[in-house]
Amino acid sequence: MDRYQFLIALSGLIFSMGLLGVVIRRNLLVVMMCLEIMLNAVVLSFVTFAVRSQTLHGVAMTFFIYVAASCEIALAMAIVVLLVKRRGTLDLSAHQELKG
Amino acid sequence: MNQLTLIPILPLIGFLVNGLLGSRLPRWLVSVVACGLPALSFALTLSLFMGIASNGTPVIENLFTWGSTTGFQVDAALYFDQMAAVMCLVVTGVGTLIHIYSVGYMSHDRSFSRYFAYLNLFLFFMLMLVLGKNILMLFAGWEGVGIASYLLIGFWFEDPDKTAAGLKAFVVNRVGDTAFIIAAFLIFHFAGTLDFQGINAFFSASQPSLLMMNVIGILLLIGACGKSAQIPLHVWLPDAMAGPTPVSALIHAATMVTAGVYLLSRLSGVFLHAPGAMAVVAWGGALTAFLGATMGLTQYNLKKVLAYSTMSQIGFMFMACGLGAFQVAFFHLYTHAFFKACLFLGAGAVIHALHGEEDMRNMGALAKKIPFSFATFLLASLALCGVPPFAGFFSKDEILWSAWSSPNGSPVLWLVGTVTSFMTAFYMFRAIFLTFFGPCNVPEKVKKGIHEGPPSMSIVLGVLAFFSLVAGFVGLPGFWRELLGVSAPFYDFLAPVLGHAGEGAAADHHAEFILMVIAVLAALSGIFLAWLFYSRNRDWAVKAKEIAGHAHGLASRGYYFDPLYGRLVAAFDWVSESLLARRVEPAINNAIIEKPADGVSRTASIFSRLQTGNVQGYVLYVLVGLALILWWGVAHV
Amino acid sequence: MTGVFISFFALLAVAFAAMVMWLRQPMRAALALVGHMVSLAAIYACLGAHVVAVFQVLIYVGAVMVFMVYTIMLLDDRDASCQQPWSMLAIPAILVAVLVAAALWMLVGKQPAAAPVAGAVAGDIYTFSAFSLAFMKHYWFHFELATVLLLIGVIAAWTAIREGRNG
Repeated sequence: MDRYQFLIALSGLIFSMGLLGVVIRRNLLVVMMCLEIMLNAVVLSFVTFAVRSQTLHGVAMTFFIYVAASCEIALAMAIVVLLVKRRGTLDLSAHQELKG
Repeated sequence: MNQLTLIPILPLIGFLVNGLLGSRLPRWLVSVVACGLPALSFALTLSLFMGIASNGTPVIENLFTWGSTTGFQVDAALYFDQMAAVMCLVVTGVGTLIHIYSVGYMSHDRSFSRYFAYLNLFLFFMLMLVLGKNILMLFAGWEGVGIASYLLIGFWFEDPDKTAAGLKAFVVNRVGDTAFIIAAFLIFHFAGTLDFQGINAFFSASQPSLLMMNVIGILLLIGACGKSAQIPLHVWLPDAMAGPTPVSALIHAATMVTAGVYLLSRLSGVFLHAPGAMAVVAWGGALTAFLGATMGLTQYNLKKVLAYSTMSQIGFMFMACGLGAFQVAFFHLYTHAFFKACLFLGAGAVIHALHGEEDMRNMGALAKKIPFSFATFLLASLALCGVPPFAGFFSKDEILWSAWSSPNGSPVLWLVGTVTSFMTAFYMFRAIFLTFFGPCNVPEKVKKGIHEGPPSMSIVLGVLAFFSLVAGFVGLPGFWRELLGVSAPFYDFLAPVLGHAGEGAAADHHAEFILMVIAVLAALSGIFLAWLFYSRNRDWAVKAKEIAGHAHGLASRGYYFDPLYGRLVAAFDWVSESLLARRVEPAINNAIIEKPADGVSRTASIFSRLQTGNVQGYVLYVLVGLALILWWGVAHV
Repeated sequence: MTGVFISFFALLAVAFAAMVMWLRQPMRAALALVGHMVSLAAIYACLGAHVVAVFQVLIYVGAVMVFMVYTIMLLDDRDASCQQPWSMLAIPAILVAVLVAAALWMLVGKQPAAAPVAGAVAGDIYTFSAFSLAFMKHYWFHFELATVLLLIGVIAAWTAIREGRNG
């Protein structure tokens, strides 16, 4: 296993951990943080592939991911604040009405 | 675009003008357009007829390709040969006369322009039928005249009975048309073409099995039966009398109903190789002629007498076709067009004079009041009865002679024909005595207003009566030809297309003369008996009716064909309603739609529990999906 | 030498990620997340992508996490979710996640070992000037789209707050 395979495996591992965190935690904020972990795993894979192929494009993409992440977090935090205001709790299990 | 194309196009223009603008045009302009364009068509037909009579070559006009695929092409083409020429002359000639008559007859009607639009439309389709070079063109015209007929029968659509009559005609014709289409498919299957000349040439050269030929022939016969009101598809014709009388004269006596005869003659190449079908045509025709005449004996409605008479006469034509004497059938078609149109128009004059009264029991003693109409009616009746030297005599006598002498004929057919012509004479003169003689049963109110029709009606009656008198001389029977040393221009003209088939080859003029005398005596005795029963001793008629009893009831009710068909339809209705709709369909529905649907919804209700509303649950499903995909990858990479 | 550093920071990143999932207090989880991100930045630096490393620290740690921390401070930390941090789905989720991780590991192990990249780190290609040229030459349109996206993000966040206040 060379360095890049190791890093891709690491990226997969961190992504799985983020996904797991999204499912197992109750706290809305921690869930958001786990989403950030998943996003970071993706960035890691981009950078790894870019370095392996010695090109600029994959790394340039990370900047756009940063832009998207910033937007996402700004909006997500606004929504979190609103949700908490409405329910008075950060507990995700209190929000069960996402069904038809 | 040459003359030939113009012949059908002109009435179409008339239809468009009167149909689209008619309600805004003054009546005189509507009349001029409606009568002028068919008259022009007639003139064109006449000039083409002169051409074909002198050089004998058919005129072909290819308008456009209707459709084509690999190895098959069908054109919208017109074909003017001797047979089409005769039909065309009859259609445009009699058609024009009836248009002129209608100007007077319909003068009081509100929907004057609509009437003429329909009538012109009918002429267009009829000419298309007659001039079509292939089955497809003929069929298009065939359906078109059906529509025109439907529209005109139900012309006074405020009366539900009349619209029902139109509908009945349309529906009964569908039965025949279905058979016709199947026959056309079969013909195409074997011959690979829809062109009449190609079909006749093909079947003359090589035939599929005899059974197949007979099947095709019988299917064509059923198609012809529908249009020509032959038993068992005749039930629409008496009801079709609901239309205006000139319509009955044009469509349901002179032209459209003879389309079946035209079809049989057009495809004579098929029939000549289908002896079984030919026999059915001949005997079916004889049966219709006989039953039609018996039904005519018992009717009190003047127009219905004529309707049954038409049926009976077309039966004669079919009989001639079935004997292979197509040219004789055509001759009868041609003479019949004149005298039957004249009879209907005469009846129309009577009805017009009596403000719509059609029941003969409410007529009587009209001979003095409308003498001209009476005279023309009498002339045409004599022609119909086959009294020499009127037109009907020559044509009917030739049919009877064919029945006796043709290889396919038999004395029984001749006997049926002779008895029928005896009955024909009886019911026609029964109608004359009831209508024009005897005590006057017209209500007092109407009596004063009885008058001859306007000149446009009288002139037409006169012309048609004249032709009823002289039209027969162009086709003298063989016996007379020899006696007078003349030829029969009508048969000679048609010989290139129809030949002299079916005419007694070894002309036994002695037998022919005797049979002719018998037929004339039968007709005259019919007239005499009618005089005896309906003029001299009217109570005899009542007594005869009592003696006949059930037979009379049977005939006057049209042999219960209508109730029978009613039962038949009710049976279908029972099958579809009680059986299929109530039992079979729910069962099928339950088995293949409702049960599976229930299963699906039950399964769905299980799976729908997965939708908990918990976001994290959904993410878990994503995780499970991811695991499955990845493990699939592990297993397959 | 680089390999050792990368392994070390990888270990650190995994450990911090585990802490994010484990710690009860949101504030502590956030700090663990910062540690996770810095570890990743270090890995990027080891790989030679210094610019990405710098931006990782600047944007993620500097901007995103600050956002997060503000929100945590805004909200009550004596929430029910702090007393009982695990959701009802924790155990099945862990099982599935283990399966996923195992599958990933096997898949990566099955990949053919990469051919040694010719002239690995042949001069530093991830320089600021290289990025600037790339953005102005190749990605100028995407760059503009990103600015639009940021603008929309700002407007959306503002609208969400405003609507929440009204409703």
